[in-house]
Amino acid sequence: MIASARWRAAPARPRPFFLWLFLPSLAAALLFVAALCEVAQYAFRVFTPGSLEAGGFTLENFARLARPIYLSVLADTLLISLATALFTLLLSYPVAYAMVRAKSDFVRSLIMLLAVTPLFTGEIVRTYAWILVLGSNGFVNSVLKAAGLVNAPLTMLYTRFGVIVALVQFSMPVMIIILAAALAHVDRNCERAAANLGAGPAKVFRHVTLPLTLPGIVSGTVVIFAWTMSAFSTPQLVGGGKVLMISNLVYLQGLSSFNFPFAAVLSLLALAVAIGALGSMRPFVSRLERKAAVN
Amino acid sequence: MKGEASPAVELIKVSKSFDAVQAVRELSLTIRQGELLTLLGPSGCGKTTLLNMLAGFEVPSAGSIVIGGRDVTAVPPYRRNTGMVFQNYALFPHMNVFDNVAFGLRMRKMAKFEMARAVGHALEMVKLEGLASRRIRQLSGGQQQRVALARAIVIEPKVLLLDEPLSALDRNLRGAMQVELRELHERTGLTTLFVTHDQEEALGLSDRIVVMSRGEIQQVATPLELYRLPANGFVASFIGEINRLPPARCRTEGNDVVFEIAGGIVLRARKRNQPTIGAGQETHLFVRPEHLTLVEGDRPAPNRVSCRVTAHLYQGAYTLTRVDAGPLGNLQLRVLGGEVIAAAPIGSQIKISIDLDKAVILAG
Repeated sequence: MIASARWRAAPARPRPFFLWLFLPSLAAALLFVAALCEVAQYAFRVFTPGSLEAGGFTLENFARLARPIYLSVLADTLLISLATALFTLLLSYPVAYAMVRAKSDFVRSLIMLLAVTPLFTGEIVRTYAWILVLGSNGFVNSVLKAAGLVNAPLTMLYTRFGVIVALVQFSMPVMIIILAAALAHVDRNCERAAANLGAGPAKVFRHVTLPLTLPGIVSGTVVIFAWTMSAFSTPQLVGGGKVLMISNLVYLQGLSSFNFPFAAVLSLLALAVAIGALGSMRPFVSRLERKAAVN
Repeated sequence: MKGEASPAVELIKVSKSFDAVQAVRELSLTIRQGELLTLLGPSGCGKTTLLNMLAGFEVPSAGSIVIGGRDVTAVPPYRRNTGMVFQNYALFPHMNVFDNVAFGLRMRKMAKFEMARAVGHALEMVKLEGLASRRIRQLSGGQQQRVALARAIVIEPKVLLLDEPLSALDRNLRGAMQVELRELHERTGLTTLFVTHDQEEALGLSDRIVVMSRGEIQQVATPLELYRLPANGFVASFIGEINRLPPARCRTEGNDVVFEIAGGIVLRARKRNQPTIGAGQETHLFVRPEHLTLVEGDRPAPNRVSCRVTAHLYQGAYTLTRVDAGPLGNLQLRVLGGEVIAAAPIGSQIKISIDLDKAVILAG
């Protein structure tokens, strides 16, 4: 996905298991494409209020996208996804660094355990936990009040801020694993060589560690961005209907209004944006890599 | 080289332990200005730890390190001005050749035009002109080695530290690089500390060699001295091939020293100026394979010994012949050419002569 120019195609060799590995993936791909076609065909059909049956051909559903309310949901979704990806990166890098560079095995295992455990609690459980923490009488507000820092409770639940906080926590384990893999591949001698040549710790990081982990940084950010684009239960519960992301809108249209055609249009839009984001990442990465290399 | 007034590097009673393991013990060593000094020893002898302490990657548990007159014991690596070439080269894979070599100069905030000239000069020194814009991945192992060298010498370090830089190259290239390293050293005049476990490299390259074992210095000497006059049994058997004879009791007889070995064997050597060898003392004799010779027929020769041929190892220019010399144990001879294989077949009885005048004699 994020292969940079330095990864050359392997020379052609006989691949004895190619067919056996190819067939199952082909089957999975066909099923996925079939489901996608089923969704896509709805997008071009007339919605009849009060009926589950869609009517004849129309482009009306696409024209409806241009309404400001829907555009603002799309903008919100992109904004929340981008913010989540960036904050997840900023918070995960130090954790991954500490984990990979820990001198004692015990500390390394402890960080690993703490970082990855949230993966094994369900999304709903974690989201409810955030509702308890962020609520008006939740943990954060109780602490702030007790400390005398605020008079009235801060509103965090049902805001974009609250949704992003929950999504960041939700995304961190995956980001930490991706970054840890990248950091573990950095040759420590390269960092030592830089220090030997006169680079202090900050410069070693800026000129060696950071550029060498750049592929991991970018793939982590892209994965979390695309993942957050399709977030549903976190914005649904923490956002409480006040923060709408595309998935929530699809849910509203499809399962509250039973407007399958417009829900299909929104789904296709979300898919297109996600694919577009992934695709535009590649030239961006190679330019970034080249830039990081020079200075 | 330059004057000997101030040493380039001084290690004063340096020790380093990792948990319970003592890697370096109270080691003191002086590196002269402009010399190429080699740290030689088996793996685990503490030579790499010593190198890392000089570069500042390890902090000594005790003792102090002085580089260019400045105590750097507590100075971090990036303020020491040492130039290190790593065993795996540790080139920056995300930079091209020019940027790798220029890295140290950028850290020193050198002006652009001056930097280009310095990098060009360094690349010329290692014979890599014209490859400045290559990516590291496009270079061969030997070329990467040269980039690593250029990167280290371009900053004009107080001391150049080479950590087994030739071990990753194949044999032919290694020989050529040894010659080039020596030439480079002559041209730059940089004080150089070379770490290796390869005695041939050490003998061929060095002004002086430090033989280390178990965190301690066994001997510091020029290659010639080290080969001819090893200070102890460890150095004698570590440097080159050597035969260790059974312990002998010695006495003087006129101008000769006589060694009596269990089994009734008596060997003679001319008296030499070595005060440690006294009458009646137990001594250890070490003889190089090239100082054992085949004796044809009944020709008289000093220290004739009968023995049986047990193996031949043909090496091209010479043959290593193993013999069973009864009370003297198994010995190894170095015989020029390969004729000996036919002349003295395995199992045959032969006579050899032991030249004890060139032997290493250590007091027991």
